[in-house]
Amino acid sequence: MGWAWLIMLLATYPWLLGADLASDVLARGGFVVFISGVCIVAPCRRLRPIQAIPFAACVGFLFEARRPIPDGVLAFTLVAISIFLTANKPLLRNAPGLLRGAIISNTLACIAWAAATALALSTTEAPSSNSALTHFALQVALAALIGAALYIPISLVQNYAMDRIGVPPAADTP
Amino acid sequence: MDQNRRGARASYVALTIFLAVWIFMPSTVRRFNREAFTEFQAPGLHLVSKSRDLARFWELKSRSSEEMALAGRDLARVNAALELKLASLDDVRRENTRLREITRYTVPADYMSVVARVATRDSSSWWNRIVIRKGRNDGIRPGAPVIFGNSVVGRVTAVHLTTSEVDLVTSPGFRCTAFLEGDDQNSIVLINGLAGNSLRTPQARISVIPNDYSTGTLQSPKAFTTGMGGVFPSRLVLGTVDLDSKATKPGSSFKEGRLNPSRELYNLQEVSVLVPLHQNPGEALLQGDQFQ
Repeated sequence: MGWAWLIMLLATYPWLLGADLASDVLARGGFVVFISGVCIVAPCRRLRPIQAIPFAACVGFLFEARRPIPDGVLAFTLVAISIFLTANKPLLRNAPGLLRGAIISNTLACIAWAAATALALSTTEAPSSNSALTHFALQVALAALIGAALYIPISLVQNYAMDRIGVPPAADTP
Repeated sequence: MDQNRRGARASYVALTIFLAVWIFMPSTVRRFNREAFTEFQAPGLHLVSKSRDLARFWELKSRSSEEMALAGRDLARVNAALELKLASLDDVRRENTRLREITRYTVPADYMSVVARVATRDSSSWWNRIVIRKGRNDGIRPGAPVIFGNSVVGRVTAVHLTTSEVDLVTSPGFRCTAFLEGDDQNSIVLINGLAGNSLRTPQARISVIPNDYSTGTLQSPKAFTTGMGGVFPSRLVLGTVDLDSKATKPGSSFKEGRLNPSRELYNLQEVSVLVPLHQNPGEALLQGDQFQ
């Protein structure tokens, strides 16, 4: 059980790799298929905070590893979201709540990395504000859509992995 | 009352600890695990890229012999043309060597060419990058120029054991100097990538173009590397110039323009990394710069 977060990370990794490959396809338009926020919702419903936090941090650091974004912004945002979600499990007690959680969590995480990157890099490169803002809005909207579309398949895999390693099921009415 | 005061003090201490962790821990943790996570991902990227190559191989293998014969005939023609070109280049090389000997010209930094397949592409408003399937094990170093044919693709920004990250010409972090085709005065212009291009082909900005520069009869003049700064060899094509009258401020003594990359950067399958045999200033600047 102590290694549940690591096993969950391995179970989630194919989705993260798949998102990177999908970003490859969308690279021409300048978009990233961002799913880091969605990936932490289902585990936060069942894992204990001590397990959910390293899991969320690792998902964040995996995204950051290949991209020039400020240190730890995404990882710490995901950790903050995971702390909130594990402390407020009643919010995730039913399917609509989980879906809402996935969309909000993915959107918040996406806003965090995009804004932090913009702030960190604008010291060296001032973009034309209109196109940068349009792009920012489109990227956030895409993240919300992806959150809604991919939550169910990702959570199915994650729940299956948690069942196999013996993580206790979440109470319907905690 | 005392308990309240103690509780308040404890909350300030907790807040201070949290802020200290927030400020100092990410860079420490990331420095420690960035390489580990990248290496963890590298086999996955290799596997996917190699399976893509394998799929392409079987797709080509399934072609009919008639198609192969036609392709072979076309290749034979191209070969014949290239052989003629090679013979003429041999003469040029001999002439070049002779002139260098006469003028005792010292050859600029030599490069070792490493051919690498593109594993994956990634772009956002703030970066346009590709990951290639060659890394430290193959002698690649940060700062090395990346080209395709005689066109600049970008510059290596991070090197891992078996993969490297390349900042494309259109990436906001990319900067270099250039000469414009048709400029008799050989004025030096600046090229840097543009942030925030959504749903459009990525472009770069050309600044400090002299006001008297005009493209003349040239439909799409090219921009070439200057060779200054020691990163890129000279006379490599950066792209074609598109003079942008809207981007130029009224009353300014310089014009601005857009650079359209000479290659479709997101369709590249293979690139060459020119690794300088001796460390150049560009490499030295890149060392320890996490955002470049």
